[in-house]
Amino acid sequence: MTTNPDNQQQSFFLNMGPQHPSTHGVLRVLLEMDGEYVRDAEPVIGYGHRMQEKLGESRTWKGFMPYSARLDYVGALPCSHGFIGLIERMTGIEAPPRAEYIRVITSELNRIASHLLWLGAFLLDLGAFTPIMYTFDDREQVLDILEDVTGSRLTYCYFRVGGVSRDIDEPFVEKTRAFIQRLRSRFKLYDDLVTGNIIFIKRVQDIVQFTPDMAMRYGVTGPILRSTGIRYDIRKNEPYSVYPEFDFEIPVGETGDCLEVYRVRLREMEQSLRIIEQALDRLPQGPVLAKTPRQLKLPQGDASFAVETARGELSYYLISDGGETPYRLKIRTPSFSNLSPLSELCRNVLLSDLVMVLGTLDLVIPEIDR
Amino acid sequence: MNKTDQLIEELSRLPAAVNRVDYRQRGYHLEVRLQAGQVPAFAGLLRQREFYLVFVSAVHVSPAIEIIYQFACFAQPCRILARSTVAADGTLPSIANIFHGANWHERETRDMFGVVFTGHPGLEPLLLPEEEADLKPLLKEEGALKPADQIRRAPDEEVQDTKPSTTAEPGAKKPNVEHRQ
Repeated sequence: MTTNPDNQQQSFFLNMGPQHPSTHGVLRVLLEMDGEYVRDAEPVIGYGHRMQEKLGESRTWKGFMPYSARLDYVGALPCSHGFIGLIERMTGIEAPPRAEYIRVITSELNRIASHLLWLGAFLLDLGAFTPIMYTFDDREQVLDILEDVTGSRLTYCYFRVGGVSRDIDEPFVEKTRAFIQRLRSRFKLYDDLVTGNIIFIKRVQDIVQFTPDMAMRYGVTGPILRSTGIRYDIRKNEPYSVYPEFDFEIPVGETGDCLEVYRVRLREMEQSLRIIEQALDRLPQGPVLAKTPRQLKLPQGDASFAVETARGELSYYLISDGGETPYRLKIRTPSFSNLSPLSELCRNVLLSDLVMVLGTLDLVIPEIDR
Repeated sequence: MNKTDQLIEELSRLPAAVNRVDYRQRGYHLEVRLQAGQVPAFAGLLRQREFYLVFVSAVHVSPAIEIIYQFACFAQPCRILARSTVAADGTLPSIANIFHGANWHERETRDMFGVVFTGHPGLEPLLLPEEEADLKPLLKEEGALKPADQIRRAPDEEVQDTKPSTTAEPGAKKPNVEHRQ
C-alpha cells in the first residue's frame, strides 16, 4: 500500500457512513480509494426519507405547516417563511407590516444560529475542539431569544398565514440588541482564534475549487455559490417579505475554495446583524396577525415561492386543484443540489480533505432526504 | 427586459409555447410548454444563456404524467417553469448530460413516478431503497387522478403573451375574493 497517487495500485472501495461523525447525519459516501486518495465519491442518500411531498398531498396546507420546519432543523424559520409565503401568494392574503418585520428579525436570528452551529461543527471536523464551545455559547443566546417568543428551540411553528402567532415584547427587543452587541464583539475573537490561524488556512485553502460553471450545471446556491464571486441571493435578486426595505450587502468571495466559503459565511452573520438592527429600529406598531377565514381553500392553479435559507435556495412549488389539500407539492432544497457535485469536486483529494469538503457544504441530511 | 424578450423569441423558435406570467401571483416569470422531443434543445439553450437548474419533477394528471422543469438565472431575475408531457411509452429524453444536477432530480422522479429518462447515465433508485424501486408513491390513485385542465388557472386570468403584467391584475385577483367568505 502506498499513499502516492501516481503508483499503479489497484483501487478499493470504502464506505464512509451511514453512521459517521463527519457526515453530520445519516449520509453514506461510497468511496473508490487509491491508497489515501479519493478516486470517486458517490453520495448514497435517502436513509432519512420521510416522503414529505406525499405528506403535503394528504394534509391541508395548515396541517403541513409544522412539517416545513422539519426540513432544515438547524435553520427552520426561513423554511417556514417560504411555505407561508407560498400560501399567502396563492390566496392573496397579506400579513401586517409588523408581522413581516418580526418574520425577518426571527429568520435572520435563525440564520445566525445556523451559521454558528456550522462554524463550530466545521472546525470540530478539522480537529479544532475549542471553537465549538464558543459558538455554542453564542448560539445558545439566540435559541433563548427565539424560545421566549416562539415557544420552541429548534423546530419552530411560529409563522401563520397572515402574520405570526405571538407578538414580540420589550424584553425581546432588549435581549436581541444585547445579543447584537455581544456577537459583534465576538467576531474579533473568532478572527484571532481561527481566521488567522496558519494551521487552519493550510488545511482548507485551495483544496477543492467551486466554480460558477459548476454552480450552474448542478444548481449550487447559497454561500458556496457566493464564494465563487457571483452575487446571487434570493433576498436581493427576487426579494420577498420586507427585505427590500433594509440596507445590507451580499458578501461574495473570489477564489471559490473552502476558505472563501468560510469567509463568506462569517461576513453573512455581520450582515444579518445589520438587518436585525435596522428592523428593530424601524419596527412598526400594529397587529401581528391579519384576519383570515377559518376554512381557506387554495384556488385552482400553481405557484412557486423561493427563499434564501442559511444553505441556499429553498423553493416550494404547489399545484392546487381547488380542493382542501394540495394536488402536488414539490420541495426543492439547497443541500440536495449542493451535495450533488461531490463526485466531480472530490476527485484525487485526500480522504481527510473530503471530510473538510463535506463540512464546508454545511449539509443538513433530513433536508436532502425530505 | 430586453434580454427576456430575446429569450422568449429564441424559445418560440424551438418551437415552444412561451407565456409571460405575473410574478407576484405565480412566483415565476415565464411559463413554457414543450413537446417531449424538444426538451434537450430547450435545456441546451438555457445552458448557453447561463441559467441554472432549480429542479426537475413531475405531476400525475390524466391523460399522461407531466414533467416540470424550473430554471433561474444568476444575472437577471428570470425564473422559468417548463412543462412537458411524457411520451406514450412513459419516457422522456434526459437532460443530465446538459445540466449535471438533473442526474439526481431525474433519478428521484423515476423513483416517485416511474418515468424513464432516456439517455440518463444511471437511472438507479435515489431516495427509495432498491427493493422498493417500483413503488411509485406519488402516482395518484384512480379516484384522485385529475385531468390536466383541472389543475390550471382559468384561462381568462392568464396574462397574455406580450402585455405588461399589470393589466391583467384586477381579473386575476378574483378567486381570492370568493374564498374569503
